[in-house]
Parts: sequence; structure tokens; C-alpha cells
Amino acid sequence: MIGTQPIDLYARKISDEKQGSVLDGSSKGTEKRYEVLHKDYADPDSLRKLAGAIKDHTLHHLGDYLAKAEAALTKRGAKVHFAATAEDARQEILSILRGHGVTQLTKSKSMAAEEIHLNPFLIENGIECLESDLGEFIVQLDNDEPSHIVKPIIHKNRREIARTFQREGIAADYNDDPETITRRARVHLREKYMLAQAGITGANFVCADTGRLTLVTNEGNSRFGMAPAPVHIALVGIEKVIPREQDLSVFLNLLGRSATGQQLTVYTEFINGPKSANQPDGPEHMHVVFMDNGRTDVLASNCREILRCIRCGACQNVCPVYRQASGHAYRSTYGGPVGAVLSPLLFGDRFPELADLPKASSLCGACNEVCPVDIPIPDLLLRLRDKAKREGVHSPAAVPMTPFSALATSPSLWRTAMTMSKAMNHLPIHVAPIKPLQDWLGQRTLPESRGGDFRKWMKTRQSK
Amino acid sequence: MSRSAIFAKIEAATSALKNKAPLPEYDLTVVHSPRKLEGSDLWEIFSRNFKAVNGKAMSSIDELADFLQSSAQTHGYCDPTLFDAIGSKLAAAGLTVETTYERERYDDYQFGITRATGAIAESGTVIIDDDRTSHRLAALSPWVHVAVLEKSEIHRTIPEAIAAFGDSPNIIWCTGPSKTADVEGILIEGVHGPGEQIAFLV
Amino acid sequence: MSTPSVRPLNQRVLLMGTCLCDAFFDDVAKATVEVLEHLGVSVDFPENQTCCSQPAFNSGDWESSRKVARHCAEVFAGEVPVIVPSGSCAAMNRHGNKLQFEEEPNASIDSLAKRTREVIDFIFNDLNIRTWPGKFAQPTRIAFHRSCHSRGTKTGEAVRTLLSSIENAEVVPFGQSEQCCGFGGTFSVTFPHISGQMGTLKLDHMLEIRPDMLVGTDMSCLMHLNGLAQNQGRAIPQFHAIQILRDTLVKPNQSNP
Repeated sequence: MIGTQPIDLYARKISDEKQGSVLDGSSKGTEKRYEVLHKDYADPDSLRKLAGAIKDHTLHHLGDYLAKAEAALTKRGAKVHFAATAEDARQEILSILRGHGVTQLTKSKSMAAEEIHLNPFLIENGIECLESDLGEFIVQLDNDEPSHIVKPIIHKNRREIARTFQREGIAADYNDDPETITRRARVHLREKYMLAQAGITGANFVCADTGRLTLVTNEGNSRFGMAPAPVHIALVGIEKVIPREQDLSVFLNLLGRSATGQQLTVYTEFINGPKSANQPDGPEHMHVVFMDNGRTDVLASNCREILRCIRCGACQNVCPVYRQASGHAYRSTYGGPVGAVLSPLLFGDRFPELADLPKASSLCGACNEVCPVDIPIPDLLLRLRDKAKREGVHSPAAVPMTPFSALATSPSLWRTAMTMSKAMNHLPIHVAPIKPLQDWLGQRTLPESRGGDFRKWMKTRQSK
Repeated sequence: MSRSAIFAKIEAATSALKNKAPLPEYDLTVVHSPRKLEGSDLWEIFSRNFKAVNGKAMSSIDELADFLQSSAQTHGYCDPTLFDAIGSKLAAAGLTVETTYERERYDDYQFGITRATGAIAESGTVIIDDDRTSHRLAALSPWVHVAVLEKSEIHRTIPEAIAAFGDSPNIIWCTGPSKTADVEGILIEGVHGPGEQIAFLV
Repeated sequence: MSTPSVRPLNQRVLLMGTCLCDAFFDDVAKATVEVLEHLGVSVDFPENQTCCSQPAFNSGDWESSRKVARHCAEVFAGEVPVIVPSGSCAAMNRHGNKLQFEEEPNASIDSLAKRTREVIDFIFNDLNIRTWPGKFAQPTRIAFHRSCHSRGTKTGEAVRTLLSSIENAEVVPFGQSEQCCGFGGTFSVTFPHISGQMGTLKLDHMLEIRPDMLVGTDMSCLMHLNGLAQNQGRAIPQFHAIQILRDTLVKPNQSNP
């Protein structure tokens, strides 16, 4: 059915305030990225393509690199686990925590953990689990969902946050000054860090040669989560592996600039094992959980390029549909262009339900243009549209194309239709009972039909 | 069980590929930012780029003492191995300097002076690792963190700093003070970590 | 067009008129013929042409769209360049077809991809014409919309350079020029709200610089923007770049409505 496309409906209903926050935040993100990349590099495109090629190589040899990373980490005293599904990952983490007697922990921002809804699961199982990234902390207090990969509360303004802090007792009074909000979170969270018995993190990269997990944060929350706590658990998607430490030079330079317009994110941590023997602070136990959760299915599909993604959010910032609809419109962990490809694939059993996401794009290609690993997102969106059609998935955004194909493969029918279309100029089409036409005409004035006029002109010209 | 299942699926997916992408050969200089590398003195390049990320580069005890006094951060921790060179002089200037860090009193320390492993000139980054930092927390919980380094420890570029990783299980690059822009995109410094990051050259 | 050809090139091309020009914008197709002939290129228009297949391709019905694409490749078979006054149809021939024929290689589809050129790209890069000897009667501010299907191609720079070289023309930059106008074919039908919002934002940015006209290389974008602008009571003259090349050359006094 036309006009009931969920993302379009969501965008129609979103409040002006929320839409304004998203549009403003994402536009600024795009501008900052562009400015910094172009100030620093004469040819940023070649760097993006190089990063994409390194990622492609790694994915095509993923078995080798993943085994190397596992061996390196094990040798350094980390314990490596594998989880095939979201449920496996949740159970593995719960069992590690129970093994160490952990009842209280802090968690730094991790999209992999969001993907498997780790937080609510641990809380249900009696473990106090606190988000430590400021944005994610606020999301947790509000029982909300992050709406952007690097700016989880891009959809909220300071007034909502101040009300939340007051309601949840983080602060006694209402104060919407961003600095005050930040200080209040600082005081609240450091008490929690000190009491936590474990820190859970994700990882941005894993170097196969030495096993080093690379983590980036601006706030220093993952560093704090791993200073007093004796146990560190990293939940890592299997596609995060890169061949060598030296390749970090390429990825780190692109990640910060693409995500937040910084050359480097403030805290970049490289970890491959429990703390040093003579270091008083830090985890004595390091666990790395490599998670599949649909990734190997994506690897086997014709959309495997999406596994190059380094979760910078640049495609969300630049996407005109995301800017209008917000991340929540995508009804899954990953919103925006990357989510429109990744979500229907990763959550394979939800494919029919999410098959409308790849249609939520004018195929403008801005996402590919800003992608630090040059993922051809529009091509992947198109392949998923084809997949949905082939698999007979009913999509709210489907327009029947068989009549078009019949017309466009018959030149004589086509020419007749062109000539006849002029009749529309004399018909009251603004009252014709064709819903899509009426929706379209509701906002736009259709040009006058001149069907066949060029052909006539060309004929008289050629006969001269 | 999960392990073998995952590796089998990876093998099935990748062995079916007709053209496997080779590992691209590239010159690491492609990641250098010429604008950020202008100059010849590494401390100067570092200081300029560190300032650009709101870090403070200093090399005089008086300047450090003045800064701590004027920002009312008068009580702190100093790595005992740095006490003679720095801590004792700050104490002489009227600041309270402890050489033990007690976790229960984390809020007492307004500044923390610890040994850095080095720095990166190109990005204005201070490098900290587990082997040279006396306390992770002393470099993290105080409002002011002073990372002490020598000129010979400054790497010119990011790839050079990566090549020098060495053996430490925990290496941290700090490119400026802790910060966030989560609330309406407005930059606020000092979220969980230090609100002031100082690099002190000895 | 009465201006004599500047250089006899002895080159022949096939014109892909596009379905939109066939139905609505005959003058754009005419301008394409006139400018090319003026440049000494002889233009043939294969009568059996219909559409490049993009509507079905974008909607995901590749079985239907491959039929149309095969017909298209057959109609334009041969060795000579296929010139099209649309970045979007050019992208379909050059790139979209690669995707939909990935699993069934087709030599005539590949040949069409190699020979297809967006018209301004062809004039600038193949005919190597780097300045345009045209003139506006009065100083004219142009807001140029580089449509998204020209992203990463040579068309945008070609248009900007040629338009800027016209006497009395000023191509004025505007905010967020990388953003899509919101047309996207069936997207504008299935996502009417978002499409309309995107178009309105685009118009806001373009009109902010107080242009005398909007110029583009895809009539689809212009049709959508024009339709919105008219409904919103802020109509503004809109032209395909090829019309500007023709009009400034021939009738400078009437080209600036």
C-alpha cells in the first residue's frame, strides 16, 4: 500500500523539536567532517578507498585473521570466547560474570551490546549494569533507544535531559546547562566506577598480528571502567579484525575525522591482555567474546561489503532521509543508511518485517561519498530491494512494475501512450481516484504533457 | 561449539569467493597530514597540535605551579619517581603533594602527576602505558592530569607511534582533555577523565 | 538554430531522449540536438527507444527492469556514443545495469555502458570544449543543482565550468549543495512526506542566494523542485544546462525571463 510506508509515517509524526535536533546535529556533523578531512588531506578519497580495500581483504580472509587474533590474545593471557548467536553471547557474558562473582558493572558504549540488548538481559539476571557514556547513560535513564551510532541522544535537547536528571534523582533540582548536566553525571558515575567489579566494552578494531583491541572514546569512560574493576569483558563482532597494527594508522585517521571531525578521538586505547603485574589498577582478567550473530550470513551474501563498516555515523549525518526521520524510524539498533542495509541482513528472521528499510532512500549516494571505508551503500540497498522482490516479501513501498515493463518493451505501445498522455492536460486529473498520483500532486504541480512532441519535431527535421 | 560453527561458516562464505582481494601495499606517509607536521622541532609541533585539542604543553615548574594555584587545584598526587624533579618543587611553591594514591580518597586528588611513555607530535597526543604509569587512576580521576615526558620520547607521526608500541598490554593515547558533545552538540570538557590535560616536558 | 557549426567533427552519435523528455520536456531534447549539431556532431534518434529501465530497477523489480534494459541495449546497439541529457539515465546505463546483470553477463549491455555519456560531460570531456561562447543580456545569477546521479562523475564540474564561462553568468554557491532534492523516482511517491521536506529544504538553500534561475542536468529533479516551488508560491525559472548553452548562444535577449 502506498502512503503507509512506516519510515515516512514516522517522519510525518515526529515532533518539530525532535526533528530540529536531529537535522541540526547531523548537518553540523557533516560539515565538521568535510572541513577537517579536506583541510588535512589533498585526496581523502584515495584514503577511503585504501581503507575499504584493507577491510575487503580482511573479510575475504576472515578465518585466518580471526584465528591469528585469537592465538595472539590467548598467548597474552586473555581468555577468548566465541558466540554464534545473540543468545550465546548473552549467556557467555553472564557465565563469565557469575564465574567472577560480579554483581555490579559499568559498560562503555558498544553497538554490539546494543544489538543483543545486553543491558536489560543482565539487569533481569540480577546484575547492576550501568551505561557510562553520557549519552547512553541518559538513554538508559529514559528507558529509550540510542538514535545515532556516535551521538546516541541526537534526538534529545537539554530541557528533556534536565527533567530526566531531576526525575531520576541524579540531581535535586532542574538545571539544563549542558556543563552542569555533564558535571552531575561525572559525580554520579565515578561512584559507580569505583564500586564496579567489571567493565564491559566493545572494540573498534582488533589487530590480528598482536591481538590488540583498539577502543576509542572521547569521555574516557571505557578507561575509567577498566581502572578500578578487576574484570574486563570485550564483546566484539568478528568483522572488527584488521590484519596488522600498522593498518590502524589508516583507520584511526579516518574514524575520528569521519565520526566527529577530530583527527583522533580523545582516548584511544590499545589492549591485549590483563594489566601489567606491577600496575596497581586495572583488570586482572580479560575476556574477549567474538560474536557472529548473523555476520557470517552477511559474509555469504552479495551485500558483504557492509561488514567493512567501522561505525562512524557519517552516513547517518549526511543522509537526507535520516535527517528527516531520525534513527528511531528504522526500528532496529542501526539506523540510517548503514542500518537500512545491516538491519534486514543481521536480523535475518526479521527480514520481511524490515524489508522496507532499503527502500527508505532516494539513492542519492551521499552515504557512499562520506563512507570512510567506501561501502557502496546505494548498490547494497538496491540488491536488498531485488532480494525482497525475489523472495516475495510484501513491502509497503512496492510500486507494481509489470505494466511499466510491458509498455517500455513495446515501442509502438510506448509511442501511443506518449501521444495519449497529452489528453491528461484536458482531464481533471487532480480528482482522479489514483492515490499515489494524488499524494504526489498534493504537494507538487505536474508539468503539462508534451507527449510525442519531440519525436514529431525530430522527424520533420530529419526529413529536411 | 560456537567456535567451530563460526569458523565453518566463514570458510564456506569465503571459499566461495571468486576473487579474493589482496592486501593492498601502501606507503604509510599517505596518512600524514602535511598541515599538522609543519615545523622541525618535535616539541614545538607537538605543542601546537596539543593546544589545538585544548591540551596545555608546559616545561617550566613555575608555570605549572601558577596554573595549579590559579585554577585552585592545590592538592594532588605525584608519582614518587617524579617527586624530586617536580613534586617537591610544587610542594615548595605551597601545593599539597602526596606520593601515594589511595583509591578510597579518589576525590581528594585535584591533580595527578604521572609518567607518560611519550607523545605524538602530529596529533598532539600524550601516550600512557601500564608499565610506566604508577597508577591508572591517578592519571584519570583528578581534574588535572600532568603527563611527564622527555623530548626524545616524542614521535613525529601516528604510524611511528604505532611501530613503537612495544610490549605493554595497555597503552592509552590521550589527545586532549576528556570531552563530550552529547548534549546538543555543545563541547564540554572533563566528563569522566581530566578536564585539563597537561604535557610537561623535563 | 542558425549559428553555423563551430567545427565540423564528422562525428555521429545516438540520442537517448529519455522518457521524461518524451513525455514532458521536448525542448530539452531539442536543445541537445541543436547544441550537438552546432558543434558539428550529427545526431540520430532511434525511433524504438522507450526508457532506460530505471523505475523498475530502483523499485527492486529487476526481472521487469532487465527486460526493459535489454530492449534499450538493442535499440542503441552499435559503435557510436549514446548521448543522454540526464545524469540519472547515464548512471543507469553505466552503473545500474552492471548490478542487475551481475549474474548474467550481457555484451550489448556492457557495450551500452561504455558508450553512454551525459551530454554536458560529452561536450566538455569528449569534445574538449572548455569555455562556452554564450552571453546573457543581463547579469544572471544561477543556482546549479548537481543532481545526485552525477556524484563522482565529471558532469558537475563540466557544467559549472561551462556555465561560468558564459558572459554575464554567475554560478553562485549555496548551502548544503551535496544534499539530494528528494525526488528519487518512485521514492517521491512512496515517501511523499520526506520527499517533500527534502525538496523544500533544497529550495530554501537554493533560493536563499536569490538566483535568477535554477539549472540542472536532470529534468526529474527539476520537475520535482518546480512542482514544489509552484505549489509553495515561489516559482522560479528552471532550465536544463543544455538549454542554457543553446539559448545564450542564439537568443541572448530572451534567455533571461
